[in-house]
Amino acid sequence: MTKRTRYFVFGSVTVLLVGLCTGLVAYYTGMPMGAFGQPSGLSELRYVPATASVVAYADVRNLMQSELRQKLHKAINDQGEDGQAEFQKETGIDIEHDIDRVVAFMEPAEGAEGYTAMALATGRFDQGRLEALARQHGGLVEDYGGKRLISKADLENEHGGHKSMTVGFLESGVVAVGETAVVKRAIDRQGARSVTDNAELMTLVNDIDDSNAWAVGRFDALMSHAKLPEGVASQIPAVKLFSASGHINGGLSAVIRAETRDDQAAQNLRDVVQGFLALAKLQSNSQPELQALVNSLQLSGTGKTVALSFQLPSQVIDSLANARQKAEED
Amino acid sequence: MPSLATASLRVFDLSLGEMLWSRRTVFLALVVGGPVLIAIILRVVDALNVPAMRVNGVRLGGPSIFGLMMWFLFLRFIVPVLGIFYGTALMADEVEDKTITYLFTRPIPRSAVLIGKYLAYLASTVLIVLPSVMLVYFLVVPIGGGAIASTFPTLLRDLALLAIGLGVYGALFAAVGAWIKRPVLVGLFFAFGWENFAMALPGYMKRFTVAFYTQSLVPHAMPQDNLLSILQSVFKDNVSALQAGLTLVAMLVVALAVATRAVERREYVLEQ
Repeated sequence: MTKRTRYFVFGSVTVLLVGLCTGLVAYYTGMPMGAFGQPSGLSELRYVPATASVVAYADVRNLMQSELRQKLHKAINDQGEDGQAEFQKETGIDIEHDIDRVVAFMEPAEGAEGYTAMALATGRFDQGRLEALARQHGGLVEDYGGKRLISKADLENEHGGHKSMTVGFLESGVVAVGETAVVKRAIDRQGARSVTDNAELMTLVNDIDDSNAWAVGRFDALMSHAKLPEGVASQIPAVKLFSASGHINGGLSAVIRAETRDDQAAQNLRDVVQGFLALAKLQSNSQPELQALVNSLQLSGTGKTVALSFQLPSQVIDSLANARQKAEED
Repeated sequence: MPSLATASLRVFDLSLGEMLWSRRTVFLALVVGGPVLIAIILRVVDALNVPAMRVNGVRLGGPSIFGLMMWFLFLRFIVPVLGIFYGTALMADEVEDKTITYLFTRPIPRSAVLIGKYLAYLASTVLIVLPSVMLVYFLVVPIGGGAIASTFPTLLRDLALLAIGLGVYGALFAAVGAWIKRPVLVGLFFAFGWENFAMALPGYMKRFTVAFYTQSLVPHAMPQDNLLSILQSVFKDNVSALQAGLTLVAMLVVALAVATRAVERREYVLEQ
């Protein structure tokens, strides 16, 4: 073997060994996914627990300025309903201009049935005005972990019991709204494990782009808390994770994605959805206003992924609205 | 007379340098450098916050892109191509250069020439392809937040599969090169004609391809975005990983046995 052949063999083996050792270290230490990649841009996610069952996001500013929303807003104003103005008068928050985005999550309730939820709104808030408003309505203002909290106790919950709701000013321009215990846990979570350490959910989050609203979640966690009858539960596809994302402007384009437990489950789900799509196409022949929507439905995905995308152009939305209006008039 | 193993290792030692520094190395560098270049471009595109790849509006994550590159670029293109161009040339080059006489007049078994050259082919291709895959993996998988930690076992399976693929295709085309006069044409027809055709057919015909067994071992799912892959998925009839692995090893052994037998018995007539 010549010298340069030896050098070449040494170089190749070194690249392989370095790669294998790096991979092994990452595998055994569970190296955070961001180590070689780009971190997600949503800083609020660090307040979301790693055990969250569902995480949702809405680019409120973008949605409020969308053509679709303008049309809806006009239709509502025509009917004389303007709750938005009333809300602004009370709180000083102009939803259209003061809130940039909202991140919300749901997690299984600790020591109880059901879920707890919290929303994190990013924007411009008049803290003094909100505190004054809270005091006026019997709210309690306190400091917790260096953050200002406005709480209202003795509110009735859905089970007939009592709960305490809190608005927490987590940082400049970021407000958390939820049950007091959940908001306090979010404050305690700073620097600890959050959803950004949940590789499965973050992979789904990072795969979403160009969407002004999305939700990702652990379908199996939701099902385990749903307490469905055994017969129904066994019929539900073996979906592990899901995501739904959409871009709303004049129309709507959306993608619903499911990650199944194995390739076979994904193939079965694709077959089922394909069957429904064929049925929908047959049905839509008699309803031209639905035909564009049905024709835009596209099923895709490889391996454990099943994705269904569709587009609803503004013309289709207009024609659906017109059809509804016509039906109401008749 | 040295034993078959000693003689094979001696030929391997001689042939490894020859293979690595031949004109084919430029071709090999271009073939395996392509995916690395693509991976760098994808990474740069991702760094600019532009989605690297999208299918039907769904942004493909790094692991999915890596899976596509493994299947389309490496397993379905690079591995067969290297098998064809290197495997068929193991004996053909010596015949063409009229140097086979020097090897056959040495006091070593004829089969040692083929086995030694085959081992040199395997070493040189594995030493070039596997580091290339490693670079592609670390460049592509983190795109879109893909995790190195969770996908690393898949990489190990990919590397093993590539080594097996190179071994089987190399042995198969070494046998073709030892038996047939124009082995490259036959190799190209087999790898890019027959394999694609048979894989799209229902029934047992796909079992006469190498791709059928590598497909059964591949840890990534096959993309279903063109007519051929949809047909292949419709008629998908995968065997178990164990069965596929054993069949590939059997193919390798049989092809190598056929090749060595051909070299032992065939009378090579050098053109004057």
